[in-house]
Amino acid sequence: MLDIEMDETWKEEFIERFEKDGPWASWEMYQLALEAAMHLSVPEFDGLQAPKHLPHLTPLPHQLEVARQVVENMNGKAILADEVGLGKTIEAGLILKEYMIRGLVKKVLILVPASLVSQWVKELNEKFFIPAVQQKKSYVWEQCDVVVSSLDTAKKSPHREIIYKQQYDMVIIDEAHKLKNNKTKNYEFVQNLKKKFCLLLTATPIQNRIEEIFNLVSLLKPGHLGNAEYFAKTYGKTRSLQTNEHLKALVNKVMIRNRRADTGIEWSKRHVEPVLIEFTKEERELYEAVQALKHDGELLFGSQFSLITMLREACSSREALFLTVKNMMDKYEGDVPDSFHKLMEKINAVTTNSKAEKALELIRSINDKVIIFTEYRATQLYLQWFLKQHGISSVPFRGGFKRGKKDWMKELFKNHAQVFIATEAGGEGINLQFCRHVINYDLPWNPMRLEQRIGRVHRLGQTDDVYIYNFAVKNTVEEHILTLLYEKIRLFERVIGELDDILAKMNFANLERYLQDALVHSRSEGEMKIKMENITAMIELADQLAKGGEQYAAT
Amino acid sequence: MQQHEIRHFVERYFRANECAILEANDEYMTVQLTVEMDKELMNRPFYWHYIERTGGTPQPMQLTLITKPTEKTKTLQGERLHFGSPRLHQIFRSAQKRGSFIRLYEEPDAFQHKHVPLHPWLGLNVKISYQCDRKKDQILSLGLHLIGGTIIESFHERLQKRKLTPKIPDYCFTISPLIKPKSGIGRLEQYIRSRIAADDHTWAEKAKERWKEDLALLDHFYEGIEEKPECYYIEKEALEQQYKPRIIVSVINGGIFYLLPRS
Repeated sequence: MLDIEMDETWKEEFIERFEKDGPWASWEMYQLALEAAMHLSVPEFDGLQAPKHLPHLTPLPHQLEVARQVVENMNGKAILADEVGLGKTIEAGLILKEYMIRGLVKKVLILVPASLVSQWVKELNEKFFIPAVQQKKSYVWEQCDVVVSSLDTAKKSPHREIIYKQQYDMVIIDEAHKLKNNKTKNYEFVQNLKKKFCLLLTATPIQNRIEEIFNLVSLLKPGHLGNAEYFAKTYGKTRSLQTNEHLKALVNKVMIRNRRADTGIEWSKRHVEPVLIEFTKEERELYEAVQALKHDGELLFGSQFSLITMLREACSSREALFLTVKNMMDKYEGDVPDSFHKLMEKINAVTTNSKAEKALELIRSINDKVIIFTEYRATQLYLQWFLKQHGISSVPFRGGFKRGKKDWMKELFKNHAQVFIATEAGGEGINLQFCRHVINYDLPWNPMRLEQRIGRVHRLGQTDDVYIYNFAVKNTVEEHILTLLYEKIRLFERVIGELDDILAKMNFANLERYLQDALVHSRSEGEMKIKMENITAMIELADQLAKGGEQYAAT
Repeated sequence: MQQHEIRHFVERYFRANECAILEANDEYMTVQLTVEMDKELMNRPFYWHYIERTGGTPQPMQLTLITKPTEKTKTLQGERLHFGSPRLHQIFRSAQKRGSFIRLYEEPDAFQHKHVPLHPWLGLNVKISYQCDRKKDQILSLGLHLIGGTIIESFHERLQKRKLTPKIPDYCFTISPLIKPKSGIGRLEQYIRSRIAADDHTWAEKAKERWKEDLALLDHFYEGIEEKPECYYIEKEALEQQYKPRIIVSVINGGIFYLLPRS
């Protein structure tokens, strides 16, 4: 027989009042108390109560379905892996609300990227009436029931120790793909949290290696995919989730993934335009000078990574390249080789930035709000200065900004500036639906990163068509990347989400290596062409495999 | 809970707490709070502290609650009230706090000449919750005759059909309980226990199965490791909290009712 926990407090107080003859409630108040309790009680295990409490919120059918699944079939532990922009926050909010209404969850820890903290707090309070609080002072951990913080803050002393003492009923982690490596501090920190219910939110769960999925699932439900040894033995040779039906089925027990195509929602269109740019003579000379460093051998760099970085910087801005070169010179022991000095001369010789000119022209013709993404801070600063020279107001945005500053910058952009210049780290976790033009000033090599960038504007709530401009300088590494990723694999024509499958098939870490090899180590144009063709063929194969897998799964 | 029910509930709440309703129509209502209600609902302890220290004239606030948003209500400084709104839940909590304990007498219908005895009853409204990783509640209203020991269900419904008053009516006298309230509560608890025992508890069996499954997975995850890391024990404890079936009985309210004997 089960234990029954009887309420003792009422009894004691009643007896005291009975002896003292009062005070007593009025009959009306007594009836109201009972009616309130009736309204608040939930007579069934099944079904969702949350929508009744949120009349002004109209969740989409797929969001309600996710909430129901997690509560009824997944025991409140799940990886929410919808594609970017389908409203994972809404799903998490619904689930949290449901548990709070039912009185199963009180103490909650929500870990999100720093840039999203205030947005989560705002949404939970305004959309869900959940009194979430931003962690600002250390007493908040203990005294507030629903706390939102960044993982970086939470894992540090003294917060970490205080958090470990708390008994959380629910832990929610946004951008959980950052927990794919079980050797990291982040991973260890989350592993040691007490979590009765747990939601991991990520848009990119399956682009990764199979071990990363193992790590993510093991955080949520240790043993679900076996232990490390068993997993390596059973699935070690599996290259991706799609190729093993058994594994896929297991993972699907703890993961829900909606795709845009499945939601039946009419999405606004994406228009993608490649913009090819011609270097000036000086810029070209600079680019070639960097390329020539290859012949100075690896002595100079130690790794080829620097060279490819420098080439990409040369395509971005001379300022970006300058910083790297200066750093290398400062660190160089002994006399700095002549080639560096020559490079500096070439940098000084450049007086214009063709890309920036093009961007300016485009921004003027768009005559609406524009987001520019660049990978380099120096370029970001330069662009801000450059646009200002031409009377265009802009707002910079970086991952490193403090929360308050991020919100402030977003507001500034929304209300006062035409252009928003973000570095890569700023691409994640900020929602800018009020803008519909994106310039990719330099292209990331990982297509998923590109997807994340575009997801900032092309998400639920975007009512207008979205325009994406991909910049690339002719006859440089950039053009190769543009051709390969964005023309040969026709990235932008694909149904969004297919990309995940393809990348899962081919293992992105390898792709990056192949690309570097082709672009840096090739001794001739011809060799490079062949290598690039090989990579294309590889992607196409992965594509076919991915499609094959889909068909198999459908039967 | 429908909007008109909310509206009705809140209006009754304020009237029961002696707040003047300044304006009331289909769309909204404006209430003049009393000092007590201002302290209860408006969360401004510093203001009240200040007034009490300085001896200033207290000015309790007015509250406008919108139950049916229209073009007109947009112009008002009011709060929207709906089932999920924090204000309504605050009022629910306040009602439960203020309506916990009661003592009432039944008033005879017709004018009585001879003295009428009123029998003591112990009334108890409880919420029984079955809880594991899921939860469901059930509300039970019980009455115990403190003379004969009879227990009846749906007691509250019966009370609602009677005319009740906080003061003992003229020409009525109460019979002292033979069963003391404390042991009366004990009897009702016993009744609740046996009622629960007779219920279907497959929900608990299923929860235990889920618990066992996850525990087996966890053990497998750390199989072969001599000294289990701390996170093993943390997770194990978390699983217990997640799945362990619990039955919780909480008292909503209750009290003593002196009622006319019925044949």
